[in-house]
Amino acid sequence: MTANGSPCRYSVSIDSNKMRLDLHTHSIKSDDGRAKVENYCKWIAKKELPLDGFVLTEHRQFDADSDYRQLEDEYGLAIMKASEVETDYGHVLVFGVNDDLLAAIDFTNVRLPIETVLDESRKAGAFAAPCHPGRKRVGLFAHYEERGVVQGVDTVEVLNGGSIPGEDELSLAMADRLGYRGFGGSDSHVVSRIGFCATDFPNQQIVDMEALVHALYGGNFSAVSMRPGDSD
Amino acid sequence: MDDDNTMPELAAVRDQWVGVEFDWTTFEMSAENMVAWAKACGETDPRFIDPSHHDFQAHPGFTTHCMSGRVFPKEFPQIGGGFGIDGGKRVEVHAPIRSGDTLTATTTIADIFEKTGRSGTMIFIVQRMEFRNEAKDLVSTVDWKMIKKAE
Repeated sequence: MTANGSPCRYSVSIDSNKMRLDLHTHSIKSDDGRAKVENYCKWIAKKELPLDGFVLTEHRQFDADSDYRQLEDEYGLAIMKASEVETDYGHVLVFGVNDDLLAAIDFTNVRLPIETVLDESRKAGAFAAPCHPGRKRVGLFAHYEERGVVQGVDTVEVLNGGSIPGEDELSLAMADRLGYRGFGGSDSHVVSRIGFCATDFPNQQIVDMEALVHALYGGNFSAVSMRPGDSD
Repeated sequence: MDDDNTMPELAAVRDQWVGVEFDWTTFEMSAENMVAWAKACGETDPRFIDPSHHDFQAHPGFTTHCMSGRVFPKEFPQIGGGFGIDGGKRVEVHAPIRSGDTLTATTTIADIFEKTGRSGTMIFIVQRMEFRNEAKDLVSTVDWKMIKKAE
C-alpha cells in the first residue's frame, strides 16, 4: 500500500537483490523546496539514477493529500510520503505518519521535545530518526556535548546530500561510537540533487510505507553516497 | 525548553493576523516600464521587449517590483529581532499583463512561521500581493518573505 492507503503499483527494481531508496527529499510542498515531484521522476529516468524510489519528507507537515500513484506507474518508482519535524535536539525524519501521530504532535512546532517525537512515533507505529546529526544547531550531535545523549535513538542519517564538509564525517564517527545504525538521504530541494545519498535495503522488497517502517525497525540497511565524484 | 514561551506568542500572532488584508493600491502598466524591466532581466523575447509585437505583455517577474504602501498592517506586533531581511519573492502568473492596464493590488499577510537551520531559528512573514486588471481577472500573485531572527 502507498502512504495514502492505496495499492502501490510500481514494479521496476534495478537490482533484484536490493532496494535503493532516497529517504530524504523535499518538493514544492515545502516552503524552501523548488522541485516538482514529476520532475524528480523525469530526472531519475533521464540520468538513469540507480534508485527504486524516494521518500518526500516535507518540512513541518505531512502532505496527506497528494497522490503520486500515476507517477509511480509511469516511471516505475516507489514514491512515499513522510515528514521532517524540528525538535530541541535538531531535525528528525518521521516515517509512517498516521492520524494518531498527527493528533499527538504539532508538526509546525519548531521546539518539539525529541523524546516526545520518539515516543509518540513508536506508539503510533511510525519510525523516527534524526537527520543530518552532524550539522550545527539542527543536528542531534550538536546538542550531545552540552545536554547529553538522548535515550531511544538508535538510527540516524549518517549521509546527507546537503551536508557541508565535516558534517557527515562527524555523523559517521559519532554513530559508530554510539552504536547507531545509519541511513542516507539526499535532502534534495532541487531536482538535480536527488539521489546524492540514499539507502540500500538488501534482500528486501519495499513496496509501501508500512514495509519501509518495518525495514527500518529491522535494521538491515546501509547508507550509500552517489554524490558526483564519490564511488558507489 | 529555554524559550518555550515564545511559541504560543507566535501562534497567537498567526491566528490573529494571517489572512488580514491591509493595503490596497493601483499600478498603471506602461510599455516603457515593461520594456525597461524585461531588458534589465536580460530578456530577448519580443513579446516582452517589443511594444509593437501582437502579444506584447509584461515580463513574468514584472509585478515583483510593485511595492505596496505598507510593509505590515497597522498595529502589527513586533515579532523577532531587528528589522528583518528580504527572503525573496515568488511570483505566479495567471494571465498576461498588457500595456495600459490598471492593476489593483491587495496585500494580505499570507503566513507566519518559524524554522530552524544552521543560522538558528528564524521567523518568516509572508506578505501576499494579488494583482487584478480592470476586468477583475487575477493576473499575478507575488509572495514576499521577510525573515527575522527569533529572539
